Formats: sequence, C-alpha cells, structure tokens
Amino acid sequence: MVLDDVTFDVTDGELLAIVGPSGCGKTTLLRILCGLLPPSEGTVLLEGRPIVRPPREVALVFQDYSRSLFPWLDVLRNVMFPLGRLGLTRAEQAARGEAALSEVGLNGVGRAYPWQLSGGMQQRVAIARALVARPEVIFLDEPFASVDALTRADLQDVLLGVYAHVGDRRVSIVHVTHDVDEAVYLADRVLVLTPSPGKVAASIEVGLARPRTQAATRSSAAFLAVRNAIHDAIARQQAQRGEVR
Amino acid sequence: MSARAVARLGGVLFGALVFVAALAIWEAWARSAESFFLPPASEVALRAWDVWPSAGFLSAVGASLKRLAAGYAIGAITAVSVGLAMGSSPRVRRMLGPTTEFLRALPVIAVVPIAIVLVGAGDAMRIGVIAFGVFFPVLIATVDGVRAVPLEIRDSAALFHVRGVERSVRVYLPAALPTIFAGLRTSLSIGLVLVVISEIIGEGDGLGVYIRSQQTLFNVPEMYAAILFLGLLGYALNRLFLVVERRALTWHYGAVGDPVR
Repeated sequence: MVLDDVTFDVTDGELLAIVGPSGCGKTTLLRILCGLLPPSEGTVLLEGRPIVRPPREVALVFQDYSRSLFPWLDVLRNVMFPLGRLGLTRAEQAARGEAALSEVGLNGVGRAYPWQLSGGMQQRVAIARALVARPEVIFLDEPFASVDALTRADLQDVLLGVYAHVGDRRVSIVHVTHDVDEAVYLADRVLVLTPSPGKVAASIEVGLARPRTQAATRSSAAFLAVRNAIHDAIARQQAQRGEVR
Repeated sequence: MSARAVARLGGVLFGALVFVAALAIWEAWARSAESFFLPPASEVALRAWDVWPSAGFLSAVGASLKRLAAGYAIGAITAVSVGLAMGSSPRVRRMLGPTTEFLRALPVIAVVPIAIVLVGAGDAMRIGVIAFGVFFPVLIATVDGVRAVPLEIRDSAALFHVRGVERSVRVYLPAALPTIFAGLRTSLSIGLVLVVISEIIGEGDGLGVYIRSQQTLFNVPEMYAAILFLGLLGYALNRLFLVVERRALTWHYGAVGDPVR
C-alpha cells in the first residue's frame, strides 16, 4: 500500500505545498489527483464533482522535463499542443503560446527545440505548456528537483510570478517537493506527508506576506519559525514510528 | 580541414582501400584458379560495362525495383498501423500476439509455395512475399518503439485529452519513429533479398529472372555482373535510406547526439 488515509482540501486560489520524503507516495498521490490513476479507495472531488479521468481544468508539470516535453516539436508547438481541443485557429493558438512563454520569461525561443535549451529553460517551457489552456488547478511534481540550486531559485521565482499573475483567476497550485525551504518559500499552506504508506501528518499555515523574495523572505524570523514547525512535525512522526535519527 | 573531417576522410579511404583489396584478391585468385565458373574481376567488369547499360538489363532492374517499392510500402504501412495498435493496447497485444509470433517464425522462403498456390506465380505472389517479409521487423520495431514511450509523454497525452487513433498518430508515432526507422532499415535489406528470390522462382521479368537465365545459359560473367549490380543496388538503397532517415529524424539526432554510422 503506497498511500494510507490522505484527506485534504485545496481552496480556490491557494498555493499548497506537499512535503514528504522520497517514496512516501507523493507522485502516486499527484497522479491520482490529476485523474491519471484511479485510487483503489476514496475519491477526488473537483468543485464537488468526482473525477474519473483527467479533467480539462487540470494541468501537470513533471519533474523530468526531458521526458515530458515532446522532442519532435519545437518549443512553441510544444506549448500550443494542449490547445488542440479548444477549437482555436492556428493564429490564436500561436498567440496564446507566445503569451504563455512570455509569462515564464521566455521570449523568442519558440522555434528552438527543447533539447537545445538549458534545463531551467526547458522546465519553464513545461510550465508555459501547463498554463496555456488556462487550467484551474496546476500540479507540479518536484518540478525543480532536476536542476541546479541557482536555477532552482530562479524557477521558484518564475512560479511565484505566475501565481501572482493568475491570481485574479483564482487558480490553485499544488506543489509537491521534498525541499522544506522551497515549500515554505512558495506556499500558503504546507501539508506534511509521512513515509510510505503516506498519511497527512500535519497541515501548517505559512502566512508570510507576498510578494516574497529569496533574500528578504528566507531570512525573516517568520520564515524560520514556519520552517522549524515543519521540521518538528516531521521529527515528531518519525519518533512515533520509532525511527532513530 | 578540421581534425574531424580528416578522420572521417581517413575512414572512408580506408573502407575504399579494403574494398579494392578484396577486388584484388578476387582477381588474383580467379586468374590462378583459371576456372570457367570463377571469372576474374577484370573480366566481370568488362562484361558489366556492356550489360549494365543495356535496355534488357535496365528494364529488369526497373521491374524489380517497382515490385520492391510496392511490397515494401504495403508491408511497412500495414506493420506500422498494426504496431501502433498493438503497442498502445495490452488487449490488442494479447489478441494478436500469438498469431504474429507464429507467422513471424515462419521462414519467408517457406511461405513462397503457399503464395504460389494462393495467387499464382506472378507479380501478386512476389509483392505479397516481399510485403510479408517486410512486415515483421517493422511490426516489432513499432511495438517496441511505442512501448518505450516515456510515461510522462503518455500521461501528457492523457492530460491533453488526446486518445485513440489521434494519440497514436500525433504522439506515439513520432515518439517511436527512431525505433521504427531501425525496423524499416532492416526490412529494406530483407525486401531486396526477397525480390530476387521471388523472381528466381516463377516466371516474369526482373533481376532475379535475369540472373537465373544467365545461369541457365552458362553466361557466367554476365551472371556475376548482375549479382555485382545487386550488391551495389543494395548499398545504394541503404545509403538513400540513411539520407531519408536523417531528414525525418533531425530532431532525434539533435536530442541524443549524432550516432556513429
């Protein structure tokens, strides 16, 4: 059993981070939430309606951009791909694609192929592709785990920029990560999952003001307090499970 | 010239040198053996000079190539279609698996008598046999290619609501194309062999018939000249295939780096 009782809500327009160690079922949970995997027990409700297959309102950014972007298409066509079912003209699709790329800070790379770009740029393309069909919920599966630390900081700020930009549309973001600092930096609320079988160990409000910056926010007392609260929650349930640290 | 260009030129020259050395060995051996059945390379070359441009030979080559094209097209298109279906659906794989495994195990040459019984000894038989031989390597390559498509890409297709035939054509086919091309390349060689074999048996025109008739008439140098041409044809078709593959898969070579050919 990969996941035990995992029950939680995501409110409209919330940026929720889910933190847990490797192997606690975070990716499985995300695939269930997206409708890619039917749960053996339980339901996922989107605006009160149970989902049985991936809903149109949902988008997913994978950890491995090199395996999720289509290598046979250039960047713009990759970003435009989800628009096929919306009945837009090619021109409209291209315009939306370019707009999405602008939002993640990529202009003028539309004709390049994904593998010609750096890792950070490829992940931005993946985020742009997730944005382009204007989803209501965006899921991210450890999206910054495959890039170096400097690029990671960059991408975190890209995500915050996107979140601020779509704020008026009440888009929710569910961000899975194993990095506690990243979770606190980005989120409104952090869910802590136990190791396999995954359960919700704690739900901690972050309550830091926005906009947030790498330098100021991360060194604030409030940030450290929330961070420590999360580490405490992790330590507590590790002790409960009788683990030695 | 860059170091890499020099290295490549060296490789090409060395390959040519090996080929010339092989010809030289043939020449020396044939002259010393003085057998009617092993003419020296020089004699074959002289005869080839006459034979190759002749109208009869060229029309035979044309006929063979037309059959190869038809059989290859039929075999490859059917194989990719069935392969996409089998690759994307475990149920279809289970349904068709045993039958395709059985048919695949049959040596194609053994299928020729069946083909003759079913459709006679003419062109339909030949094209059918070629298509049969081309089918299986391409089928297996397609199924393998589709099954190797990364989970993230399949998930993406599901999230973008691309299903069924559209998913096979717009996502699985391009994703699996590099592997499919490997199968297409193998099948090309198989197809060429089957053209000749199917022509040696049965009536009609074509390179195989030409070779067989020269053998019957004991025109040994002419026979060698035709076989030599066959080898060169196979080489040329393979190189042509590589050019096409390069064009179709530029994105792939960019992504994974240029393979050593």
